[in-house]
Amino acid sequence: MTSRKGGLRAFIWPAVLVYTLLFVVPAIYGAAISLFDWSGIGTKATFRGFGNYLFILTDDAFRQSFINTLVLAVSGGILIFLAAFCCMAVLRQMKGRGFIRSVVYLPNIISPIAIGAALSFALDSRGALNQVLSWIGLPPQSWLGPDLVFRCIIAGLAWSAAGFYVILLMSAVDGIPEDLYEAASLEGVTKVQAFRMITLPLSWDVFATCAVLWVIGSLKVFEIVLAFTGSANSGVPLSARTVAIQQYMAFNDPSGLPHLGVVSAIGVLMFLLSLVLVGLTRRLTRREALEL
Amino acid sequence: MTSHIAHTPWHRPPESWGRKVSRLFGDHIVPSAIKAGIWLWVAFNLGLLAWVLMTSLKSTRDILLGPFALPTHIEWENYVTAWDTAGFGQATLVTLIFVFSSLVLVMGFSLPAAYGLARRMDRTASTLTAYFAMGIALPMQTVLIPYFVVNTSVGQFMTDWVTGAWDPRIGLVVFYSATAIPWTVFVLTAYFRSLPSSLEEAAQLDGAGPWLIFRKIMLPVARGPVTTIAIITGLGAWNETLLVLFLVPDGAQRTLPAALLNMYYGLQYTSNWGALFAGVVLLVGPIVAVFLWLGRRIIEGATLGANK
Repeated sequence: MTSRKGGLRAFIWPAVLVYTLLFVVPAIYGAAISLFDWSGIGTKATFRGFGNYLFILTDDAFRQSFINTLVLAVSGGILIFLAAFCCMAVLRQMKGRGFIRSVVYLPNIISPIAIGAALSFALDSRGALNQVLSWIGLPPQSWLGPDLVFRCIIAGLAWSAAGFYVILLMSAVDGIPEDLYEAASLEGVTKVQAFRMITLPLSWDVFATCAVLWVIGSLKVFEIVLAFTGSANSGVPLSARTVAIQQYMAFNDPSGLPHLGVVSAIGVLMFLLSLVLVGLTRRLTRREALEL
Repeated sequence: MTSHIAHTPWHRPPESWGRKVSRLFGDHIVPSAIKAGIWLWVAFNLGLLAWVLMTSLKSTRDILLGPFALPTHIEWENYVTAWDTAGFGQATLVTLIFVFSSLVLVMGFSLPAAYGLARRMDRTASTLTAYFAMGIALPMQTVLIPYFVVNTSVGQFMTDWVTGAWDPRIGLVVFYSATAIPWTVFVLTAYFRSLPSSLEEAAQLDGAGPWLIFRKIMLPVARGPVTTIAIITGLGAWNETLLVLFLVPDGAQRTLPAALLNMYYGLQYTSNWGALFAGVVLLVGPIVAVFLWLGRRIIEGATLGANK
């Protein structure tokens, strides 16, 4: 076996090398840049220590963007997993379940820019949604105004992301033997109770994975916000800025001299936040493993 | 034993009124309401697709008359505007080159690594698998500035000293591939682990080396799922926007999602909604086509990583 292992080493190291040199090392380099005040090649870099981090944590716009991102992670997560749980309760025995899964999953692989462009036109003041509201006698709303736009973004994001978690959780549900449900039904357990007593406990591991994936994904939300707020003259309103958007705006500083240290520090904070939230999510979802 | 018999349905005492109500809700009303909700969701998704397609064929005048009004005539002009004026033709070409060249890089590095990690059952292998998994949690935002700085300076260096010209999109392909490798390696490792190694052991006894076994036995056996994972990686590249915005400064050199975004920003001057929706169809249409063709397998591939 030793010769075989030696042979396999040559399979592994190129990917390890590429991943390390082009992803891990740049991340460390980014952490180094975040300690300086620097506007790019050809300008002087001054060491600031944790000054950039202090600036970010005390700046109102940045603080707002962190709050927004957390709100999005929590409320989007609630919407998504509520929808996914509903699917888990009934989709197993529905007619056309394969078709339903495909249609529900599809928005997940469509560009968020396209989704944002189409949905924001539908939500425009003279758009499709207000038209529908006027048919049933409700007053039109300014959906894309600064008060409501972030809620619309969360709803749009939850709508487009939910399908991914539905198919992941359903693949776990498919692995549960049918006779468990039959036995439960003979015992007088209703379908709703069966979800709570059988389906959810037996797919809990996959749910925990899903929760982690959602948390990682929700911190990086970027494109859909740009596409929802793109037509506004003044850029993205404060109420709709996620951390990633705030970073992009800091990079495209109107003065033309971006503070690369600050932009880098946001990236480092996002990584730390993702580690903390993943740890927290894993703690919250930890249960005794159930085996059949 | 007696208690067991008492629980079988034909010996059960008549149901109390409260139980009947809870059965009515738990077995009929709530599940039916959820089913109706799911069908509404499906109808909304299909309706939205149809609505986008219809809007892309309406003249801007028709669009502004009413979002649900049927087109008075088919406005092919929208597609011509998007393809030529808004640069979608050029952007499609750029996107295809970007998708295929990053696919070659990502799969070229990930496939052997995943196979090697799956077949080495020692401590190093599990450490390295965890090391790749860490990359899934590493947001691209952390490396954007380093990528930007390196890409700019390499471009400068090449232009000044070596080739006299440089395309920032080379950096885009290389860096995008590097960020896509962790997920691909992770999922492929999980898949290769699930394959029995008896075939390879037989080949090994016949004296075949690991490289020969990998190419002549493993790749053909794993072709279906590997293709699926490649498609999912390719879909990710097709939709990539953030890295394009940071690394490619010239709007004319950017990929499709950036072209759509650019057109969307210009809308306040052009007001050409019809062409914008034609752009949406040009960006989304190929994805929907691939999904119609391979949807079931894409869904299987997407669930591969989480269940293992």
